[in-house]
Amino acid sequence: MKRLGQIFIIASAAVLLFWALPWLVNLITVKPYGTPFTLYSCTVHDFTMLDKSEGHGFRFLDTKGNVYGDEAQPMFYASILASRGELPDTIEGRPITLAEIERNAVIISSDPQDVNRPAAPVYLLMESVPERLELKDPEDAMVSRKNSIDIYCMDENRLLEDKTAQLNDALKEQGFAYPAKVFAGNPSDRKDHDEGYLVADSEDKIYKIKQVNGTMEVRHLQQADGLHTKWMLITEFENRATLGWLVSAENRLSILREDGSVVPTEVIFDPGSEDMLAVGDLFYYTIKTSTEEGEHFYALRSDDFSLVDTMDRPYPKEWSIPGISFTSGTDASVRPRL
Amino acid sequence: MTKMIIYKEWLKTRWLLLGIAVVLAGFSFYCFLNLSKVVEFRGGGILWGTLVAKDTVLLEILRYLPPVAGAVLALAQFLPEIQQKRLKLTLHLPYPQGRMILLIAAYGLVCLTTLFALQATVSALVLKKWIVAELVSRITVTTLVWYLAGWAAYLFTASICLEPAWGMRVVILLLMAGLLRIMYLSPVPEAYNGFLPWLIIYVLCSAVLLFHGTACFKEGLHA
Repeated sequence: MKRLGQIFIIASAAVLLFWALPWLVNLITVKPYGTPFTLYSCTVHDFTMLDKSEGHGFRFLDTKGNVYGDEAQPMFYASILASRGELPDTIEGRPITLAEIERNAVIISSDPQDVNRPAAPVYLLMESVPERLELKDPEDAMVSRKNSIDIYCMDENRLLEDKTAQLNDALKEQGFAYPAKVFAGNPSDRKDHDEGYLVADSEDKIYKIKQVNGTMEVRHLQQADGLHTKWMLITEFENRATLGWLVSAENRLSILREDGSVVPTEVIFDPGSEDMLAVGDLFYYTIKTSTEEGEHFYALRSDDFSLVDTMDRPYPKEWSIPGISFTSGTDASVRPRL
Repeated sequence: MTKMIIYKEWLKTRWLLLGIAVVLAGFSFYCFLNLSKVVEFRGGGILWGTLVAKDTVLLEILRYLPPVAGAVLALAQFLPEIQQKRLKLTLHLPYPQGRMILLIAAYGLVCLTTLFALQATVSALVLKKWIVAELVSRITVTTLVWYLAGWAAYLFTASICLEPAWGMRVVILLLMAGLLRIMYLSPVPEAYNGFLPWLIIYVLCSAVLLFHGTACFKEGLHA
Protein backbone atom coordinates (compact mmCIF):
# COMPACT_ATOMS: atom_id res chain seq x y z
CA MET A 1 0.00 0.00 0.00
CA LYS A 2 2.87 2.33 0.77
CA ARG A 3 4.33 1.65 -2.69
CA LEU A 4 0.93 2.33 -4.27
CA GLY A 5 0.75 5.60 -2.35
CA GLN A 6 4.17 6.62 -3.68
CA ILE A 7 3.14 5.77 -7.25
CA PHE A 8 -0.07 7.79 -6.81
CA ILE A 9 1.83 10.81 -5.51
CA ILE A 10 4.50 10.69 -8.25
CA ALA A 11 1.94 10.22 -11.04
CA SER A 12 -0.28 13.03 -9.71
CA ALA A 13 2.68 15.39 -9.28
CA ALA A 14 3.85 14.64 -12.84
CA VAL A 15 0.43 15.46 -14.29
CA LEU A 16 0.19 18.68 -12.27
CA LEU A 17 3.70 19.74 -13.32
CA PHE A 18 2.97 19.05 -17.00
CA TRP A 19 -0.12 21.20 -16.61
CA ALA A 20 1.09 24.07 -14.43
CA LEU A 21 4.68 24.61 -15.66
CA PRO A 22 3.97 25.00 -19.41
CA TRP A 23 0.99 27.21 -18.57
CA LEU A 24 3.20 29.44 -16.40
CA VAL A 25 6.06 29.63 -18.92
CA ASN A 26 3.66 30.32 -21.80
CA LEU A 27 1.93 32.99 -19.73
CA ILE A 28 5.25 34.73 -19.07
CA THR A 29 6.56 34.49 -22.62
CA VAL A 30 3.35 35.18 -24.56
CA LYS A 31 3.44 38.33 -26.68
CA PRO A 32 0.44 40.28 -27.95
CA TYR A 33 -0.36 39.71 -31.60
CA GLY A 34 -3.08 41.35 -33.61
CA THR A 35 -4.08 41.33 -37.22
CA PRO A 36 -5.30 44.42 -39.06
CA PHE A 37 -8.99 44.98 -39.62
CA THR A 38 -9.63 43.74 -43.15
CA LEU A 39 -12.60 44.14 -45.47
CA TYR A 40 -13.20 43.69 -49.15
CA SER A 41 -13.65 47.09 -50.75
CA CYS A 42 -16.45 47.86 -53.16
CA THR A 43 -14.48 50.79 -54.60
CA VAL A 44 -10.94 49.33 -54.76
CA HIS A 45 -12.18 45.78 -55.52
CA ASP A 46 -9.48 44.25 -53.38
CA PHE A 47 -9.08 43.40 -49.69
CA THR A 48 -8.07 46.51 -47.76
CA MET A 49 -6.37 46.44 -44.37
CA LEU A 50 -6.26 49.14 -41.73
CA ASP A 51 -2.62 50.25 -41.51
CA LYS A 52 -1.60 50.29 -37.85
CA SER A 53 1.96 51.48 -38.35
CA GLU A 54 2.71 54.73 -36.52
CA GLY A 55 2.96 58.16 -38.09
CA HIS A 56 0.49 57.57 -40.90
CA GLY A 57 -2.86 58.44 -39.37
CA PHE A 58 -5.93 56.51 -40.42
CA ARG A 59 -5.30 54.76 -43.72
CA PHE A 60 -5.91 51.54 -45.58
CA LEU A 61 -3.57 49.40 -47.67
CA ASP A 62 -4.70 46.99 -50.36
CA THR A 63 -2.92 43.70 -51.08
CA LYS A 64 -0.60 45.48 -53.56
CA GLY A 65 0.46 48.10 -51.02
CA ASN A 66 -1.58 51.01 -52.45
CA VAL A 67 -2.69 53.54 -49.83
CA TYR A 68 -6.28 54.75 -49.37
CA GLY A 69 -8.33 56.77 -46.92
CA ASP A 70 -11.91 56.21 -45.71
CA GLU A 71 -13.05 56.15 -49.33
CA ALA A 72 -11.71 52.60 -49.58
CA GLN A 73 -14.53 51.48 -47.28
CA PRO A 74 -17.48 53.74 -48.09
CA MET A 75 -19.98 51.19 -46.74
CA PHE A 76 -18.34 50.68 -43.34
CA TYR A 77 -17.53 54.38 -42.82
CA ALA A 78 -20.64 55.71 -44.59
CA SER A 79 -21.74 57.94 -41.69
CA ILE A 80 -18.31 59.58 -41.46
CA LEU A 81 -18.09 60.10 -45.20
CA ALA A 82 -21.68 61.43 -45.28
CA SER A 83 -20.91 63.90 -42.46
CA ARG A 84 -18.04 65.24 -44.60
CA GLY A 85 -20.16 65.25 -47.73
CA GLU A 86 -17.84 62.67 -49.32
CA LEU A 87 -20.24 59.73 -49.64
CA PRO A 88 -20.39 58.78 -53.33
CA ASP A 89 -23.79 58.94 -55.06
CA THR A 90 -23.24 55.74 -56.99
CA ILE A 91 -20.98 52.71 -56.58
CA GLU A 92 -20.60 50.07 -59.30
CA GLY A 93 -23.17 52.05 -61.22
CA ARG A 94 -25.78 51.70 -58.51
CA PRO A 95 -27.23 54.80 -56.78
CA ILE A 96 -26.86 54.56 -52.99
CA THR A 97 -28.27 56.35 -49.96
CA LEU A 98 -27.08 56.39 -46.35
CA ALA A 99 -30.36 54.80 -45.20
CA GLU A 100 -29.94 51.95 -47.68
CA ILE A 101 -26.34 51.39 -46.59
CA GLU A 102 -27.36 51.25 -42.92
CA ARG A 103 -30.23 48.86 -43.65
CA ASN A 104 -27.86 46.45 -45.37
CA ALA A 105 -24.99 46.54 -42.87
CA VAL A 106 -24.69 43.18 -41.10
CA ILE A 107 -22.21 41.49 -38.80
CA ILE A 108 -22.28 37.77 -38.02
CA SER A 109 -19.89 35.86 -35.83
CA SER A 110 -19.42 32.31 -34.63
CA ASP A 111 -17.11 31.01 -31.92
CA PRO A 112 -16.32 27.28 -31.55
CA GLN A 113 -16.58 27.67 -27.77
CA ASP A 114 -20.26 28.51 -28.24
CA VAL A 115 -20.77 25.69 -30.71
CA ASN A 116 -19.08 23.02 -28.56
CA ARG A 117 -20.97 23.87 -25.41
CA PRO A 118 -23.31 21.56 -23.56
CA ALA A 119 -26.67 23.26 -23.97
CA ALA A 120 -29.96 22.66 -22.20
CA PRO A 121 -32.70 21.52 -24.60
CA VAL A 122 -34.68 24.62 -23.70
CA TYR A 123 -35.31 27.40 -26.23
CA LEU A 124 -36.99 30.68 -25.31
CA LEU A 125 -39.85 31.51 -27.62
CA MET A 126 -40.71 35.07 -28.63
CA GLU A 127 -43.90 36.47 -30.07
CA SER A 128 -42.95 37.45 -33.63
CA VAL A 129 -45.84 39.88 -34.09
CA PRO A 130 -46.09 41.72 -30.76
CA GLU A 131 -49.26 43.65 -30.02
CA ARG A 132 -47.40 46.91 -29.37
CA LEU A 133 -45.05 46.36 -32.35
CA GLU A 134 -41.88 46.36 -30.24
CA LEU A 135 -40.36 42.96 -29.58
CA LYS A 136 -40.73 41.85 -25.96
CA ASP A 137 -38.89 39.40 -23.72
CA PRO A 138 -39.99 35.80 -24.33
CA GLU A 139 -42.74 34.50 -22.06
CA ASP A 140 -42.79 30.91 -23.32
CA ALA A 141 -40.09 28.33 -23.91
CA MET A 142 -39.84 25.22 -26.07
CA VAL A 143 -38.42 22.10 -24.47
CA SER A 144 -37.08 19.58 -26.96
CA ARG A 145 -37.88 16.02 -25.91
CA LYS A 146 -37.53 12.57 -27.44
CA ASN A 147 -40.98 12.48 -29.04
CA SER A 148 -42.19 16.07 -28.92
CA ILE A 149 -41.34 19.72 -28.55
CA ASP A 150 -43.26 20.97 -25.52
CA ILE A 151 -44.09 24.60 -24.84
CA TYR A 152 -44.08 25.99 -21.30
CA CYS A 153 -45.24 29.25 -19.80
CA MET A 154 -42.02 30.21 -18.03
CA ASP A 155 -43.50 32.43 -15.33
CA GLU A 156 -45.83 29.66 -14.16
CA ASN A 157 -43.58 26.71 -15.10
CA ARG A 158 -46.68 25.21 -16.70
CA LEU A 159 -47.04 23.10 -19.84
CA LEU A 160 -49.15 24.95 -22.41
CA GLU A 161 -51.06 21.94 -23.66
CA ASP A 162 -52.97 23.62 -26.48
CA LYS A 163 -49.95 25.37 -27.92
CA THR A 164 -47.84 22.22 -27.56
CA ALA A 165 -50.47 20.14 -29.35
CA GLN A 166 -50.79 22.76 -32.08
CA LEU A 167 -47.01 22.83 -32.66
CA ASN A 168 -46.55 19.06 -32.65
CA ASP A 169 -49.58 18.45 -34.85
CA ALA A 170 -48.18 20.93 -37.37
CA LEU A 171 -44.72 19.35 -37.18
CA LYS A 172 -46.06 15.82 -37.63
CA GLU A 173 -48.22 16.94 -40.51
CA GLN A 174 -45.12 18.19 -42.28
CA GLY A 175 -43.12 15.03 -41.61
CA PHE A 176 -40.93 16.17 -38.70
CA ALA A 177 -38.80 13.33 -37.28
CA TYR A 178 -38.22 13.61 -33.54
CA PRO A 179 -36.05 14.36 -31.70
CA ALA A 180 -34.89 17.72 -33.01
CA LYS A 181 -31.16 17.77 -33.72
CA VAL A 182 -30.19 21.44 -34.07
CA PHE A 183 -31.99 24.61 -32.97
CA ALA A 184 -30.94 28.07 -34.18
CA GLY A 185 -32.61 31.18 -32.86
CA ASN A 186 -31.96 34.50 -31.23
CA PRO A 187 -34.62 35.17 -28.59
CA SER A 188 -33.56 38.74 -27.96
CA ASP A 189 -35.50 41.99 -28.28
CA ARG A 190 -32.35 43.71 -29.62
CA LYS A 191 -33.01 42.87 -33.25
CA ASP A 192 -35.04 44.17 -36.12
CA HIS A 193 -37.65 41.43 -36.23
CA ASP A 194 -38.21 37.88 -35.04
CA GLU A 195 -38.15 34.84 -37.29
CA GLY A 196 -38.43 32.27 -34.50
CA TYR A 197 -36.22 29.20 -34.85
CA LEU A 198 -34.66 27.13 -37.58
CA VAL A 199 -34.84 23.51 -36.43
CA ALA A 200 -33.15 20.47 -37.99
CA ASP A 201 -34.93 17.21 -37.26
CA SER A 202 -33.26 13.83 -36.78
CA GLU A 203 -33.44 13.20 -40.55
CA ASP A 204 -31.72 16.53 -41.35
CA LYS A 205 -34.85 18.24 -42.61
CA ILE A 206 -35.02 21.94 -41.80
CA TYR A 207 -38.13 23.61 -40.38
CA LYS A 208 -38.93 27.16 -39.37
CA ILE A 209 -40.92 27.43 -36.15
CA LYS A 210 -42.37 30.78 -35.23
CA GLN A 211 -45.00 32.13 -32.83
CA VAL A 212 -47.39 34.54 -34.58
CA ASN A 213 -50.20 36.14 -32.57
CA GLY A 214 -49.96 33.38 -30.00
CA THR A 215 -50.24 30.55 -32.49
CA MET A 216 -47.44 28.32 -33.69
CA GLU A 217 -46.45 28.45 -37.35
CA VAL A 218 -44.37 25.68 -38.90
CA ARG A 219 -42.79 25.73 -42.34
CA HIS A 220 -40.79 22.89 -43.84
CA LEU A 221 -37.90 24.36 -45.87
CA GLN A 222 -37.75 21.54 -48.38
CA GLN A 223 -34.89 22.92 -50.45
CA ALA A 224 -32.57 22.58 -47.46
CA ASP A 225 -33.32 18.84 -47.07
CA GLY A 226 -30.29 16.61 -47.40
CA LEU A 227 -27.74 19.26 -46.45
CA HIS A 228 -26.91 17.34 -43.25
CA THR A 229 -26.73 20.60 -41.40
CA LYS A 230 -24.43 20.63 -38.41
CA TRP A 231 -24.60 24.36 -37.66
CA MET A 232 -27.24 26.98 -38.33
CA LEU A 233 -27.68 30.64 -37.63
CA ILE A 234 -30.87 32.63 -38.03
CA THR A 235 -30.09 36.04 -39.53
CA GLU A 236 -33.10 38.35 -38.88
CA PHE A 237 -31.39 41.28 -40.59
CA GLU A 238 -33.20 44.50 -41.32
CA ASN A 239 -32.91 43.95 -45.10
CA ARG A 240 -34.59 40.51 -44.80
CA ALA A 241 -32.41 39.28 -47.68
CA THR A 242 -31.64 35.99 -45.94
CA LEU A 243 -33.30 33.75 -43.39
CA GLY A 244 -30.28 31.87 -42.17
CA TRP A 245 -26.78 30.54 -42.69
CA LEU A 246 -26.22 26.80 -42.71
CA VAL A 247 -23.06 24.70 -42.60
CA SER A 248 -23.29 21.16 -43.95
CA ALA A 249 -21.50 18.07 -42.67
CA GLU A 250 -18.86 18.78 -45.37
CA ASN A 251 -18.31 22.25 -43.79
CA ARG A 252 -19.75 24.12 -46.77
CA LEU A 253 -21.58 27.33 -45.97
CA SER A 254 -24.97 27.75 -47.62
CA ILE A 255 -27.29 30.71 -47.46
CA LEU A 256 -30.97 30.16 -46.79
CA ARG A 257 -33.09 32.85 -48.40
CA GLU A 258 -36.43 34.14 -47.13
CA ASP A 259 -38.25 32.21 -49.88
CA GLY A 260 -36.72 28.94 -48.63
CA SER A 261 -34.22 28.58 -51.48
CA VAL A 262 -30.68 27.54 -50.63
CA VAL A 263 -27.58 29.13 -52.17
CA PRO A 264 -24.41 27.07 -51.68
CA THR A 265 -21.25 29.18 -51.41
CA GLU A 266 -17.53 28.52 -51.87
CA VAL A 267 -16.92 29.21 -48.17
CA ILE A 268 -15.62 26.20 -46.27
CA PHE A 269 -15.44 26.45 -42.51
CA ASP A 270 -15.87 24.16 -39.56
CA PRO A 271 -17.88 25.96 -36.85
CA GLY A 272 -16.67 23.38 -34.34
CA SER A 273 -13.02 24.39 -34.66
CA GLU A 274 -12.86 27.75 -36.47
CA ASP A 275 -13.87 31.28 -35.55
CA MET A 276 -15.92 33.09 -38.16
CA LEU A 277 -16.61 36.78 -38.59
CA ALA A 278 -18.69 38.07 -41.47
CA VAL A 279 -19.19 41.74 -42.28
CA GLY A 280 -21.70 42.37 -45.00
CA ASP A 281 -22.83 45.46 -46.84
CA LEU A 282 -24.85 46.45 -49.87
CA PHE A 283 -22.28 45.00 -52.26
CA TYR A 284 -20.07 42.40 -50.60
CA TYR A 285 -19.69 40.08 -47.64
CA THR A 286 -16.20 39.74 -46.19
CA ILE A 287 -16.02 36.43 -44.33
CA LYS A 288 -13.01 35.72 -42.14
CA THR A 289 -12.43 32.21 -40.81
CA SER A 290 -9.64 31.70 -38.26
CA THR A 291 -7.77 28.65 -37.06
CA GLU A 292 -4.63 28.37 -34.95
CA GLU A 293 -2.59 28.55 -38.17
CA GLY A 294 -4.03 31.75 -39.57
CA GLU A 295 -6.91 33.62 -41.16
CA HIS A 296 -8.65 32.95 -44.44
CA PHE A 297 -10.74 35.64 -46.10
CA TYR A 298 -13.55 35.22 -48.61
CA ALA A 299 -15.27 38.03 -50.47
CA LEU A 300 -18.77 37.18 -51.71
CA ARG A 301 -21.19 39.28 -53.67
CA SER A 302 -24.14 40.25 -51.46
CA ASP A 303 -26.76 39.63 -54.14
CA ASP A 304 -25.95 36.08 -55.29
CA PHE A 305 -23.20 35.07 -52.79
CA SER A 306 -20.81 34.19 -55.60
CA LEU A 307 -17.11 34.16 -54.74
CA VAL A 308 -15.22 37.28 -55.78
CA ASP A 309 -11.84 36.95 -54.08
CA THR A 310 -9.96 35.11 -51.34
CA MET A 311 -6.93 35.93 -49.21
CA ASP A 312 -4.82 34.02 -46.65
CA ARG A 313 -3.01 35.51 -43.69
CA PRO A 314 -0.93 32.93 -41.79
CA TYR A 315 -0.08 33.62 -38.15
CA PRO A 316 3.62 33.68 -37.19
CA LYS A 317 4.78 30.41 -35.68
CA GLU A 318 4.72 30.70 -31.91
CA TRP A 319 7.03 28.75 -29.65
CA SER A 320 5.32 27.17 -26.71
CA ILE A 321 6.14 24.41 -24.26
CA PRO A 322 3.99 21.35 -24.83
CA GLY A 323 2.02 20.17 -21.85
CA ILE A 324 -1.35 19.07 -20.56
CA SER A 325 -4.23 21.49 -20.74
CA PHE A 326 -7.66 21.08 -19.16
CA THR A 327 -9.44 23.83 -21.10
CA SER A 328 -9.46 24.79 -24.75
CA GLY A 329 -10.27 27.74 -26.95
CA THR A 330 -12.43 25.55 -29.14
CA ASP A 331 -14.78 23.99 -26.62
CA ALA A 332 -16.22 24.72 -23.20
CA SER A 333 -15.59 21.36 -21.58
CA VAL A 334 -12.94 20.60 -18.97
CA ARG A 335 -10.89 17.49 -19.69
CA PRO A 336 -7.20 16.68 -20.07
CA ARG A 337 -5.76 17.15 -23.54
CA LEU A 338 -2.21 17.34 -24.91
CA MET B 1 -15.31 -3.44 17.12
CA THR B 2 -16.70 -1.88 13.95
CA LYS B 3 -19.64 -0.46 15.87
CA MET B 4 -17.31 0.88 18.56
CA ILE B 5 -15.13 2.65 16.00
CA ILE B 6 -18.16 4.19 14.32
CA TYR B 7 -19.52 5.25 17.73
CA LYS B 8 -16.15 6.84 18.58
CA GLU B 9 -16.22 8.79 15.32
CA TRP B 10 -19.81 9.81 15.98
CA LEU B 11 -18.89 11.15 19.43
CA LYS B 12 -16.00 13.09 17.87
CA THR B 13 -17.94 14.63 15.02
CA ARG B 14 -21.65 14.87 15.92
CA TRP B 15 -21.59 18.57 16.84
CA LEU B 16 -19.43 19.40 13.86
CA LEU B 17 -21.77 17.47 11.56
CA LEU B 18 -24.68 19.43 12.99
CA GLY B 19 -22.69 22.62 12.37
CA ILE B 20 -21.95 21.64 8.77
CA ALA B 21 -25.62 20.75 8.25
CA VAL B 22 -26.69 24.12 9.64
CA VAL B 23 -24.20 25.99 7.42
CA LEU B 24 -25.25 24.04 4.28
CA ALA B 25 -28.92 24.58 5.13
CA GLY B 26 -28.34 28.26 5.92
CA PHE B 27 -26.54 29.01 2.65
CA SER B 28 -29.14 27.02 0.70
CA PHE B 29 -31.97 28.89 2.44
CA TYR B 30 -30.31 32.24 1.66
CA CYS B 31 -29.82 31.23 -1.97
CA PHE B 32 -33.43 30.10 -2.41
CA LEU B 33 -34.77 33.14 -0.57
CA ASN B 34 -32.91 35.31 -3.10
CA LEU B 35 -34.26 33.30 -6.02
CA SER B 36 -37.81 33.38 -4.64
CA LYS B 37 -37.62 37.17 -4.39
CA VAL B 38 -36.33 37.38 -7.97
CA VAL B 39 -39.27 35.21 -9.09
CA GLU B 40 -41.71 37.30 -7.02
CA PHE B 41 -40.49 40.61 -8.46
CA ARG B 42 -39.61 39.63 -12.04
CA GLY B 43 -41.41 36.35 -12.71
CA GLY B 44 -40.05 32.83 -13.13
CA GLY B 45 -39.11 33.51 -16.75
CA ILE B 46 -36.01 35.35 -15.57
CA LEU B 47 -34.64 32.09 -14.09
CA TRP B 48 -35.24 30.22 -17.35
CA GLY B 49 -33.64 33.00 -19.40
CA THR B 50 -30.61 33.23 -17.13
CA LEU B 51 -30.08 29.47 -17.09
CA VAL B 52 -30.34 29.18 -20.87
CA ALA B 53 -28.35 32.23 -21.89
CA LYS B 54 -25.68 32.62 -19.19
CA ASP B 55 -22.94 30.50 -17.68
CA THR B 56 -24.69 30.03 -14.37
CA VAL B 57 -26.64 27.42 -12.44
CA LEU B 58 -28.02 29.98 -9.96
CA LEU B 59 -26.43 28.16 -6.99
CA GLU B 60 -22.88 29.50 -7.31
CA ILE B 61 -22.96 30.73 -3.72
CA LEU B 62 -22.90 27.06 -2.63
CA ARG B 63 -20.00 25.95 -4.82
CA TYR B 64 -17.13 26.15 -2.29
CA LEU B 65 -19.07 24.77 0.68
CA PRO B 66 -18.48 21.05 -0.06
CA PRO B 67 -14.64 21.24 -0.06
CA VAL B 68 -14.70 23.39 3.08
CA ALA B 69 -17.04 20.88 4.75
CA GLY B 70 -14.83 17.98 3.63
CA ALA B 71 -11.62 19.55 4.90
CA VAL B 72 -13.16 20.58 8.25
CA LEU B 73 -14.62 17.12 8.85
CA ALA B 74 -11.30 15.45 8.02
CA LEU B 75 -9.49 17.77 10.43
CA ALA B 76 -12.05 17.03 13.15
CA GLN B 77 -11.61 13.28 12.70
CA PHE B 78 -7.89 12.94 12.14
CA LEU B 79 -6.20 15.94 13.79
CA PRO B 80 -7.00 14.85 17.39
CA GLU B 81 -5.70 11.37 16.55
CA ILE B 82 -2.34 12.87 15.62
CA GLN B 83 -2.09 15.74 18.09
CA GLN B 84 -3.13 13.73 21.11
CA LYS B 85 -1.08 10.75 19.94
CA ARG B 86 -4.23 8.62 19.83
CA LEU B 87 -3.39 7.14 16.47
CA LYS B 88 -0.61 5.00 17.93
CA LEU B 89 -3.13 3.49 20.34
CA THR B 90 -5.79 3.13 17.67
CA LEU B 91 -3.40 1.22 15.42
CA HIS B 92 -2.57 -1.16 18.26
CA LEU B 93 -6.20 -2.20 18.72
CA PRO B 94 -6.98 -5.83 17.78
CA TYR B 95 -8.35 -4.78 14.42
CA PRO B 96 -6.61 -4.73 11.00
CA GLN B 97 -4.93 -1.32 10.61
CA GLY B 98 -5.93 -0.83 7.00
CA ARG B 99 -9.54 -1.64 7.70
CA MET B 100 -9.49 0.67 10.73
CA ILE B 101 -8.33 3.69 8.71
CA LEU B 102 -10.69 2.79 5.89
CA LEU B 103 -13.60 2.53 8.34
CA ILE B 104 -12.83 5.94 9.85
CA ALA B 105 -12.58 7.49 6.38
CA ALA B 106 -15.71 5.65 5.18
CA TYR B 107 -17.61 7.06 8.16
CA GLY B 108 -16.57 10.57 7.14
CA LEU B 109 -17.40 10.02 3.47
CA VAL B 110 -20.81 8.54 4.28
CA CYS B 111 -21.62 11.51 6.56
CA LEU B 112 -20.50 13.97 3.87
CA THR B 113 -22.40 12.13 1.14
CA THR B 114 -25.57 12.13 3.26
CA LEU B 115 -25.31 15.87 3.84
CA PHE B 116 -24.51 16.58 0.18
CA ALA B 117 -27.32 14.32 -1.04
CA LEU B 118 -29.77 16.06 1.27
CA GLN B 119 -28.70 19.47 0.02
CA ALA B 120 -28.86 18.40 -3.64
CA THR B 121 -32.28 16.77 -3.18
CA VAL B 122 -33.79 19.76 -1.39
CA SER B 123 -32.28 22.08 -4.03
CA ALA B 124 -33.78 20.02 -6.85
CA LEU B 125 -37.19 19.92 -5.16
CA VAL B 126 -37.24 23.69 -4.60
CA LEU B 127 -36.00 24.48 -8.13
CA LYS B 128 -38.61 22.15 -9.65
CA LYS B 129 -41.25 24.64 -8.54
CA TRP B 130 -39.83 27.29 -10.86
CA ILE B 131 -38.14 25.51 -13.74
CA VAL B 132 -38.60 22.50 -15.99
CA ALA B 133 -37.00 19.14 -15.14
CA GLU B 134 -34.36 19.46 -17.91
CA LEU B 135 -32.99 22.62 -16.30
CA VAL B 136 -33.09 21.10 -12.80
CA SER B 137 -31.12 18.14 -14.06
CA ARG B 138 -28.60 20.49 -15.74
CA ILE B 139 -28.07 22.24 -12.40
CA THR B 140 -27.77 18.97 -10.46
CA VAL B 141 -25.27 17.49 -12.90
CA THR B 142 -23.19 20.69 -12.75
CA THR B 143 -23.07 20.64 -8.94
CA LEU B 144 -21.77 17.04 -8.85
CA VAL B 145 -18.19 18.22 -9.35
CA TRP B 146 -18.55 20.55 -6.33
CA TYR B 147 -19.60 17.61 -4.15
CA LEU B 148 -16.76 15.54 -5.57
CA ALA B 149 -14.46 18.39 -4.52
CA GLY B 150 -15.85 17.84 -1.00
CA TRP B 151 -14.79 14.19 -1.13
CA ALA B 152 -11.38 15.14 -2.51
CA ALA B 153 -10.82 17.78 0.17
CA TYR B 154 -11.81 15.22 2.84
CA LEU B 155 -9.49 12.44 1.62
CA PHE B 156 -6.50 14.70 0.94
CA THR B 157 -6.87 16.58 4.24
CA ALA B 158 -7.12 13.28 6.12
CA SER B 159 -3.98 12.08 4.31
CA ILE B 160 -2.13 15.28 5.25
CA CYS B 161 -3.07 14.69 8.90
CA LEU B 162 -1.90 11.06 8.83
CA GLU B 163 1.33 11.82 6.98
CA PRO B 164 4.18 12.07 9.55
CA ALA B 165 6.74 13.83 7.30
CA TRP B 166 6.27 17.57 6.80
CA GLY B 167 7.78 17.48 3.33
CA MET B 168 5.26 14.90 2.17
CA ARG B 169 2.44 16.86 3.81
CA VAL B 170 3.37 19.88 1.67
CA VAL B 171 3.46 17.70 -1.46
CA ILE B 172 -0.01 16.29 -0.73
CA LEU B 173 -1.29 19.80 0.07
CA LEU B 174 -0.01 21.00 -3.33
CA LEU B 175 -1.65 18.02 -5.05
CA MET B 176 -4.92 18.85 -3.31
CA ALA B 177 -4.67 22.51 -4.33
CA GLY B 178 -4.02 21.48 -7.96
CA LEU B 179 -6.90 18.99 -7.99
CA LEU B 180 -9.35 21.50 -6.48
CA ARG B 181 -8.20 24.13 -8.98
CA ILE B 182 -8.98 21.73 -11.83
CA MET B 183 -12.40 21.04 -10.31
CA TYR B 184 -13.21 24.76 -10.35
CA LEU B 185 -11.58 25.69 -13.67
CA SER B 186 -14.79 26.42 -15.54
CA PRO B 187 -18.10 28.04 -14.57
CA VAL B 188 -19.79 26.65 -17.69
CA PRO B 189 -22.73 24.39 -16.77
CA GLU B 190 -22.07 20.71 -17.51
CA ALA B 191 -18.46 21.47 -18.49
CA TYR B 192 -17.27 18.42 -16.51
CA ASN B 193 -19.79 15.91 -17.92
CA GLY B 194 -17.23 13.85 -19.85
CA PHE B 195 -14.41 14.20 -17.34
CA LEU B 196 -16.44 13.56 -14.17
CA PRO B 197 -16.27 9.72 -14.20
CA TRP B 198 -12.46 9.91 -14.44
CA LEU B 199 -12.32 12.47 -11.65
CA ILE B 200 -14.47 10.20 -9.46
CA ILE B 201 -12.09 7.29 -10.09
CA TYR B 202 -9.08 9.49 -9.31
CA VAL B 203 -10.59 10.79 -6.07
CA LEU B 204 -11.50 7.27 -4.95
CA CYS B 205 -7.95 6.13 -5.77
CA SER B 206 -6.59 8.97 -3.63
CA ALA B 207 -7.75 6.92 -0.61
CA VAL B 208 -4.49 5.06 -1.09
CA LEU B 209 -2.79 8.11 0.45
CA LEU B 210 -4.43 7.25 3.78
CA PHE B 211 -2.65 3.90 3.79
CA HIS B 212 0.60 5.54 2.71
CA GLY B 213 0.40 7.95 5.65
CA THR B 214 -0.49 5.17 8.08
CA ALA B 215 2.37 2.98 6.89
CA CYS B 216 4.86 5.84 7.20
CA PHE B 217 3.49 6.65 10.65
CA LYS B 218 3.99 3.02 11.73
CA GLU B 219 7.54 3.07 10.43
CA GLY B 220 8.17 6.33 12.27
CA LEU B 221 9.21 8.29 9.20
CA HIS B 222 9.18 11.80 10.64
CA ALA B 223 10.75 14.67 8.78
